[in-house]
Amino acid sequence: MFLKVGKRLGHILPVLLGISIVSFGLIQLTPGDPARMILGNKASVEAVEAVRERMGLNEPVLQQYGNYMLNLVQGDLGESLRYQQPVSELIMQFLPVTGFLALYVIVLTVPLTILLGILAARNRGRWIDQLIRMTSVLGMTMPVFWLAMLMLRIFSVELGWFPVSGFGTGFVGHLHHLFLPAVSVSIYLIPVLVRNLRAALLEEMNADYVVASRSKGLPEGYIFRRHILKNASLPTLNLFGVLITWLIGGTVIVELVYAIPGLGTLMFNAILGRDYSVIQGLTLFYAFSTVIITLVTDMLSALIDPRIEL
Amino acid sequence: MIARWPKSLRFGAGIVLLWLIAAVLAPWLTPADPYAIDLDNTLRPPGGDWLMGTDHVGRDVFTRVVFAARIDIWMGVMGVLAPLLIGVTIGLFAGYFGGLFDSVMMRIVDITLAFPFLILVLAIVAMLGPGITNFIIALALVAWVSYARLIRADVMVVKNAEYVQAARTLGFSSPLIIFKHVLPNTISPIIVYAMTDMVLVVLAGASLGFIGLGVQPPTAEWGAMIADGQAYITEAWWVSFFPGLAAVSFGIGLSLIGDGLARMLRIGDT
Amino acid sequence: MIFTRLLICCLLIFLTTVIPKSVAGEEDEADIIRIVSLYRTQTLDPIKSVFTGSIEAFGQLYTRLLRLDENDELIPGLALRWEISADATDYTFFLRKAKFSDGSPITADDVAFTLLRMRDDPEAAYSETVEDMQNAWAIDDHTLRVRFNSANIPFLQGVETAFLGIVSRADVERRGSVDAFSDIPVSSGPYQVVEWRRNDRLILEPNPHYWRAGYPLNDGAELIEVVDVNTRIAMLQAGEVDAVRYIQNSHFAELSEDPDVVLPVEPAMRVSVLLLNHDRPPFSDKRVREAAALALDMDRITKAMLRGRGRTANTLLPEQLEFYDPDFPGWEYNPDRARQLIEEAGATGADVTINITAPDSDWEMAALIVQSYWGAIGLNVIIQKMDQALYEQRLEDGDYDSSIEWWYNDSKEPDLAVRWALCGSCGNRAYYTNYQNDRVDELVEMGTAEMDPDRRREIYREIQALAFRDVAQIPLYYFPWPNAYSTGIEGLRLRPSTQWTLEEARRVP
Repeated sequence: MFLKVGKRLGHILPVLLGISIVSFGLIQLTPGDPARMILGNKASVEAVEAVRERMGLNEPVLQQYGNYMLNLVQGDLGESLRYQQPVSELIMQFLPVTGFLALYVIVLTVPLTILLGILAARNRGRWIDQLIRMTSVLGMTMPVFWLAMLMLRIFSVELGWFPVSGFGTGFVGHLHHLFLPAVSVSIYLIPVLVRNLRAALLEEMNADYVVASRSKGLPEGYIFRRHILKNASLPTLNLFGVLITWLIGGTVIVELVYAIPGLGTLMFNAILGRDYSVIQGLTLFYAFSTVIITLVTDMLSALIDPRIEL
Repeated sequence: MIARWPKSLRFGAGIVLLWLIAAVLAPWLTPADPYAIDLDNTLRPPGGDWLMGTDHVGRDVFTRVVFAARIDIWMGVMGVLAPLLIGVTIGLFAGYFGGLFDSVMMRIVDITLAFPFLILVLAIVAMLGPGITNFIIALALVAWVSYARLIRADVMVVKNAEYVQAARTLGFSSPLIIFKHVLPNTISPIIVYAMTDMVLVVLAGASLGFIGLGVQPPTAEWGAMIADGQAYITEAWWVSFFPGLAAVSFGIGLSLIGDGLARMLRIGDT
Repeated sequence: MIFTRLLICCLLIFLTTVIPKSVAGEEDEADIIRIVSLYRTQTLDPIKSVFTGSIEAFGQLYTRLLRLDENDELIPGLALRWEISADATDYTFFLRKAKFSDGSPITADDVAFTLLRMRDDPEAAYSETVEDMQNAWAIDDHTLRVRFNSANIPFLQGVETAFLGIVSRADVERRGSVDAFSDIPVSSGPYQVVEWRRNDRLILEPNPHYWRAGYPLNDGAELIEVVDVNTRIAMLQAGEVDAVRYIQNSHFAELSEDPDVVLPVEPAMRVSVLLLNHDRPPFSDKRVREAAALALDMDRITKAMLRGRGRTANTLLPEQLEFYDPDFPGWEYNPDRARQLIEEAGATGADVTINITAPDSDWEMAALIVQSYWGAIGLNVIIQKMDQALYEQRLEDGDYDSSIEWWYNDSKEPDLAVRWALCGSCGNRAYYTNYQNDRVDELVEMGTAEMDPDRRREIYREIQALAFRDVAQIPLYYFPWPNAYSTGIEGLRLRPSTQWTLEEARRVP
């Protein structure tokens, strides 16, 4: 087991290296000039050149990459080209917001997903299953920005129940401010998750050992709790892992609509402003967390079910 | 045969078929030119000459909603087909042969998966410039990994199945085995996934439209129309509502097909 | 059973989230003015950006020698009075006693440093004002002398612009030109920085040493950055902010019905234009450019775009500028003549691109309208929407056919305006259009040095006429700032030169 974890950790390095190369390459190929984006269109070509020079953008590409990697190895993600602030500081400034939102979404989605998933699976084909399916299809197909804007109009502007924008102060303030954003994300996510969970549960329900238990005359509710739920925990766990990794990068649109100062907003603005070092730093951060979360999920799976290989 | 289809599949196929017909017959079904602006008749409410009203430059919303079906179906199909072909091919070969090719491909999969989807698409579109073609290219570069992973996992199982081993002992060539025996036995979940994926593709296109990097104006596309109309939501709700309705109905159709197929092919359902 | 527990859980979460608002009651009572804007604060160094967002922040942090009164006329700022030599090469400013936010005195030496820094720093974004400056030095602590190589009339207007906000020499030399502005700079204006949350907001508090006693009238301000216009407006309607910088035309109807919102018509020193690339066919042909202008029914476009909040532009200069020619006839709508010109030039069916920036539904609407008019005279128009960085790159590289733009001038002085927009040899190739008319360039230089106001008027009128007849660009319309304010505050407006009167703003008692 430890050996295998070590091997998986060993895989992380080439993946991160690959990601740094890909993101660096993408940036080099993208037209647009970070210096121009700070100075403005009236600025002279000379000023743009001077700023590029200071940013080190006039050096050969390979050298830039070399410098970047050299700093990275020392744990330095570099400085934002636009704000002259360390990228790690910027990430730390925006991470708590996105982290809070992600947790919030998990708290909202997981109980509901389990509830709806079980309901649908146990009542397969009946009206409640159909209802859950139809509403979830509806939730999945609504563009998230449209839904978010409608909710904002209704619950924030008309009814005044929730703030329009921002993160708030204090735990309760955060909960209050991020309620609508979390709900918007959940409405999109729950259908996907319920669908997966339902499928997983159904598969278990028709597994040989369940059929066997049933033929032994054990009550259906007992079988469900003792066997099916237990065995369905694996796919749920995996789903959970996918959910978290999705949440880290998937909240851009919602963050923009609700003006939440999170990582998605940071990344969006960095891409538009061609703030190379922030784009790169964030990409690596995203990648690293995805890889780690996937690894943790896989390890937990292996713990639950020893048949699973890491 | 259709009679044996599950209800949801029939219903979903019906909706999608209706949209397909609408897309093909768009010029004959609609009363106006989807691109003709009319500054004397902006933001007219539904009714009278305009079944679904007019938008901020006086274009007929109904006409545009119907014409948009062409773009959205094209976007959905191409946005799924391109990654599907790439992903399936790579997944098949990687899974069947294993070895170095497999390891390298799986590292590439890991790398791509580690990028948040929308952000990678956003970056690629920023690089290539907005437009449908570039959106599809971006999708092809990003979304193939899901297909590759899905099919590879199945191939690993199927390649050890008796009929494949039998084919191998009979001396059939690898490509023949892969396409004749392995592919048909692993493709079903891919098809089901592709249906859901198509919904996601159309949604991703809409999200890009919201950021302003979707289709180029004046192209009629549901996502872009919703995004444009959003600003008029209190003054003229119909500008964004009808394209929204169209997008949702199309999505429902696709989802139902996915559900029905899954049930028929007995994937994750029985 | 497990379901009931889960349900109770969900209910609890919902309650804890909804209740706080009613319990917590009103927020802080301090008189903080909040402005939400599309535009970003990119840097706090006044010489290093000409982007709108940054300029608006500079104005709050750095005082200038002169300032504007409520009618936007020049009045004494840090300088109590000034003298100009007869040949207009020497300027002497007599400064009042004032302090920086760190309590140190603002001396003539700091001002000289500010001016020289703008001239000499290679990273200075927009140093036209001091390009020809020979030297600036302190005669004593409160007397400053500025000398130009040749007569310089526009300078007085120039020192009012936000780029020449006065910075502390001691601080910049101590911390270095980058670090001095990277976090909390020493300010000389009405506010100082509490916190600059990059990518989010700039939080300001009153500068206790600000020389205008009693100002600011409020307890602080926040400049908040929000990308989506619908969100910005929702924030105003929900009472989270007091002003929205940049609403779109689409929101006028809705907001004008809101009793808690005011939509004043605030004149802006700006003009919207269609840029044409003179280096690339078909617009390298003057006949095609002229046809492109004649094809547009300007009044109709103005009406559709602005809904009565602005007027068609008749020259290429903003109407607020000095020596703007109000009597110039402008373009007439003549599609037949336009079609004929296109045919003569052999440009029928030619592909033309219009570049616009995303996401902006207003420019998209303008592009759609232009597309339809140009289509009617036989041009095949392709709209290209792209993100701003790509857009600026294409513009700078001359990789475009036409482009819908607006630009503003930082003061009433036409010198900066013509150098930026119409002069081919002044850098920036006449707003990246590659327009070149030697006579225009010559007149631009004459205008800078001409002391007689009547002669200056003639010069700038001639420039306007020449550039217009060459179809250097196509002027579209003059339009006010599209800002919306809460009725709860007074005294806040955006000057024509993009400066907030933030220090004079307060909550209505």
